Amino acid sequence: MTEPIIPQAPDVPEAPAGPYVYDYAASPQRQVVMPKTVPLPSYRTYLAEVQAAAEADEAKWKKMQADYETAKAKAEADGKDAPKPPVRPVPRKDDNDLKTPWPQEAKDADLLLLQELLGAKVEEIFEQAGELTCQLEKGALHEALLLCRDHEGLRYEMLADQSATHYPAAADFTYSVVYHLTSISRRKRLRLRILVPEGFVPESACSVYPSANWMEREIFDMLGISFANHPDMTRILCPDDWEGHALRKDYPVVGWGQRDIAFREDRGGMIERIALQKAGQLGINLKQPKAE
Amino acid sequence: MFKNEEMEINLGPQHPSTHGVLRVKLRLDGETITHCKPVIGYLHRGVEKICENQTFFQGQVWTDRMDYCSAVANNLGWAEANEKLFGITVPRRAQYIRTLLNEFNRLASHLIWLATHALDIGAMTVFLYAFREREDILDMNEAFCGSRLTTTAFRIGGLREDLPPGFEKMARKFLAKFPTCLEEYENLLSENRIWKKRTVGVAMLSAEDAIALGVTGPVLRAAGVPYDIRKAFPYAAYAEMDFEVPTQTAADTYARYLVRMAEMRQSARIIQQCLDGLPEGPVMAKIPKILKPEVNEVYHATEAPKGEIGYYLVGEKGSINPYRFHVRAPGFINLQSLPKMAEGGLIADIVAAIGTLDIVLGEIDR
Repeated sequence: MTEPIIPQAPDVPEAPAGPYVYDYAASPQRQVVMPKTVPLPSYRTYLAEVQAAAEADEAKWKKMQADYETAKAKAEADGKDAPKPPVRPVPRKDDNDLKTPWPQEAKDADLLLLQELLGAKVEEIFEQAGELTCQLEKGALHEALLLCRDHEGLRYEMLADQSATHYPAAADFTYSVVYHLTSISRRKRLRLRILVPEGFVPESACSVYPSANWMEREIFDMLGISFANHPDMTRILCPDDWEGHALRKDYPVVGWGQRDIAFREDRGGMIERIALQKAGQLGINLKQPKAE
Repeated sequence: MFKNEEMEINLGPQHPSTHGVLRVKLRLDGETITHCKPVIGYLHRGVEKICENQTFFQGQVWTDRMDYCSAVANNLGWAEANEKLFGITVPRRAQYIRTLLNEFNRLASHLIWLATHALDIGAMTVFLYAFREREDILDMNEAFCGSRLTTTAFRIGGLREDLPPGFEKMARKFLAKFPTCLEEYENLLSENRIWKKRTVGVAMLSAEDAIALGVTGPVLRAAGVPYDIRKAFPYAAYAEMDFEVPTQTAADTYARYLVRMAEMRQSARIIQQCLDGLPEGPVMAKIPKILKPEVNEVYHATEAPKGEIGYYLVGEKGSINPYRFHVRAPGFINLQSLPKMAEGGLIADIVAAIGTLDIVLGEIDR
């Protein structure tokens, strides 16, 4: 009886702890720069900013005048010539075709009607760049969508687009969810916006506008907001077993392991040698001149 | 011997009639579809994420790669959304040239739709005829911007360059022969008995369903709703153009064919008007080298050949990248209506339903 030949396992070193480790510190390519501001357009914030800027400007001007007075008094005491009086700086005018669309006070009839119908559930209404925005309390969304579709004075038949944005720097909310409604019969567009904190489950718009089905699945896939009473709350663009939500601001741009695989395959600098050879054929000097 | 039960099959993801990498899960009772579920995401590249990490000027290149059959229309939407974000006024000549190129692109996109849709259903000859004319349009693209398919035709604020010498002659030559070519296609298809049997009454989608599902473009217009963004919310130079919005009421595949053929005639009309009334002047607005927005969000929708393409942009003060970039892809929303169209029909007709939606998976998956 002969011994069965058991193939010997080759002596392979264990693969390095894979590139599929969600570890930002390990790879500089996957470092994420978190945003520090919350770019949420709002008429109220804009007014506050304008007022603050005007006050700062006024204070600066007052200080310039006070400095001038002290300098003048000192010069007179020393018997020297008086210094030049200060000139108030004029804001520089850019010579280009940009006309920044600042938020405007809401004058459109639709926005005013919505505010009248919903009362305190409307947090803010304003116009910007010719677009109407209505910010709602996060619980009142379903009611507002029903109103927009069915009310005789609104008649927004179609939900054209639904999208969400991640604001990690904001204090009392994490996401804004926006609904772009289109009225085909009245040729109008309206944006509804709600601000939701992490973990909040907003009501799905599917029962009012069936087109929200895939758009809400996309939002769930990309940002991780799930919607209540949605017929099929699963991922749509990424595979079902994907980890993380790609459009969140804490998600890296470079995919997991892209860099690591390239370096692991390049044992012995093979890729570098080939690159230098090809560059040499094309007459390109890739080698950096050495410091002497 | 044969079990009397429903059968599940997969159409795709690598089926030639799915126009890309689309997988459709079908449940069949004999030859009748009882359940249909499209599965997408095989071409997902994360265009939105990439654009959020690039400057406003770099993002346009990615819009070419979404719907590669109508790159110019995507560029137009992107450029105009940015101009709205920054408040840029584009010179009138640039508006006209944009309209001109956009309509040429609509012709190219509709021609490739006609070619592949007819090929899917079994009419081979139209494919060769349609690609012949599409070649001329691609040559004009090449003359204008050096690239045939992924054009990156426009810049934020206008155009990089004016029309090249000889472009107008090329365009007029094309316009002179194009009506004859359209008649050729119609002679092959319009009264063709097999074509009518494969398309009349197939993949119906009523106006109510289409509006509820957010369907736009020729599919909505074939259901009798005259919603065209070029008329409803005019952009570029469309407010100055004289054209009609063709509609049909039958809401089936044949009606969509008729709508698209009529649209091609209207596009040729618009191109003619652009060429005749091309104003003189600069083609680029005076804008700074580095664009930094104020806090603002815009949603700008334009009429791409497939339907409403919308760009949602959020600007962050002092940042050179968009804070949030989102595309409302027409194909993505239109594909939602596939179950409504296909369920209850025959399995052979789902190919017609996919073809008539005119989808490009590069745009659906982004």
